[in-house]
Amino acid sequence: MYTELNSILNTTPDSFTQGEFVLLSDRKSDASFLIHHFLSLYLRARCKVWFLGLVQSFNHYSAISQRLGVSLVQAKEKGQLVFLEGLNESLSVLIPQETDTRSQAMGFLSDPAVGLKSLYEFVRSSVTSSGGGEEEADGAEEWGPPVLLVDDLSVLLSLGVSVGAVLDFSHYCRATVCSQLQGNVVMLVRCDGEEEEDDGDDEGSERLLKGLTHQCSLTLHVQGLPTGFCRDIHGQVEVCWRRRQGDGQYTQKKLFQYKVHDKGASFFAPGTSSAVL
Amino acid sequence: MLPELLQGIDAGGFLIIQDSASYSGRHLLKSFINSALDREEAVHVLGFEVSEEELKDGLKGSPIQRLHFHNAYTDPLGWTDHPAFTVHQFCLEELTRLVKQTSHPKPATLVIDSLSWILRHLSPPDVCKTLQQLRKGGAVRAIIGLLHADMHQSGTVGSVCHLATSVITVVPVLKGDKAVAKITKRSKSGKVMQDEEIFSIKDDFTVIVQGKPSQLGPKQADPKEQETDPTANLTFNLRLSDTEREAKEKLALPFVFSKEKKTALLHSGPGSGRILYEPDANDDYDQEDPDDDLDV
Repeated sequence: MYTELNSILNTTPDSFTQGEFVLLSDRKSDASFLIHHFLSLYLRARCKVWFLGLVQSFNHYSAISQRLGVSLVQAKEKGQLVFLEGLNESLSVLIPQETDTRSQAMGFLSDPAVGLKSLYEFVRSSVTSSGGGEEEADGAEEWGPPVLLVDDLSVLLSLGVSVGAVLDFSHYCRATVCSQLQGNVVMLVRCDGEEEEDDGDDEGSERLLKGLTHQCSLTLHVQGLPTGFCRDIHGQVEVCWRRRQGDGQYTQKKLFQYKVHDKGASFFAPGTSSAVL
Repeated sequence: MLPELLQGIDAGGFLIIQDSASYSGRHLLKSFINSALDREEAVHVLGFEVSEEELKDGLKGSPIQRLHFHNAYTDPLGWTDHPAFTVHQFCLEELTRLVKQTSHPKPATLVIDSLSWILRHLSPPDVCKTLQQLRKGGAVRAIIGLLHADMHQSGTVGSVCHLATSVITVVPVLKGDKAVAKITKRSKSGKVMQDEEIFSIKDDFTVIVQGKPSQLGPKQADPKEQETDPTANLTFNLRLSDTEREAKEKLALPFVFSKEKKTALLHSGPGSGRILYEPDANDDYDQEDPDDDLDV
């Protein structure tokens, strides 16, 4: 986790807002470094984490988390982390074998028109069976509120799922994890191309981004710098709090610039990069 | 116009609050719910997008007894075995049954949060038909709906707003938590009134109107700001006395082609050379007709 981002979002592993739906988005950039932040943050906060890794393998996240000081392998063994490796699971759908006992979470690959109900069922059954239950097996550790991380939703659009189905899926995840179980949901969505005034782009990632923005309570939007490439500043992050804060501020927006290092990322106010000052 | 709309919608009225991803119209929706509850009306909320706790957050006091929340948030598509209310139940019979469940002497106000959810799953003609039937039906007195205008094609938004008697489009203002509300109100006589107002919503959901957007421009130049006079406290004189100003204005500038110079050139003085000119055929050279043989 990145300490500067924690102070921006006013979160620590010991205290963070529950029931939040955090939307990470990027436009012609790569916001996946934020996924690693939230993954390590919630693992350190001793929450039980469900990770739908649809775009990268488990080893990828494991290697990066190692550099951030969190061991995913250990977390998985202890039962704190439930990892759905989308790439692996999709093989069992595309090349079905007789001895397959894996869940049908990625079943939408064979028929995208059906929607993401099976994926939601996987999440729901997994989360409610262990995260929300009070009875814990002997010797099992008690974990904090459930957290669902999805990386990323735009790949579902490329696989043929409609925007409406993805929005329904995120709605149900939010209803189950945030409202019912008081956990958090973090989802990543990626856009390429300029922000257009679409009039009927039904299958576009723009519509998905807008729909998710309406649903979420906190957005972090990553973009490149408007002035172009810079070696010391990798881009800008716009943080937008959509839900009512304690002091009555409804929508609050803040802009930061960031630089990704080997072992983290630093965030600073625009113009205050250490390369400039 | 916004306070008048808040004070009450006429019977059979249909109000739509249009918002976008940059500013959520749900706060204004809650203000309408709050003022309806204060008027001792029963309010039925069909909640698809937010949970009951989130919608009721901030609405306090005894009037909240008159707020009936119909949970379409936890399972709007029937993915579990016991859905409370699904989006496919959005039709006249089901809604009438839902509203009549609670016995209240006056017809209630129906709040739909949000119409966008329904429009994503049902076809716009069906939704419009149901809304129109509800308006004429008499089971509900008035309908208030929240619509995310950037989630649909403009044709769909236009069709649904066409049914409405009032449409409020909320757009954020750059600074602070204020927003601009563009209001269109159609009265029963057919008269259409339009207005634009800047408003902000306080914690207790009262709406404060802060004037019109056109007033915002000049107001931003702070009138209290003292402009320092740069010509004060100098060791040399930058001002002109009256005689000096007169002399300055009388001065003819050297390269300006004034009227006097023109007359001097046209009517040359005595003794200066005169130019006598007689038209010559060679001077009459037409660039477009050098041989002078075109019959144009």
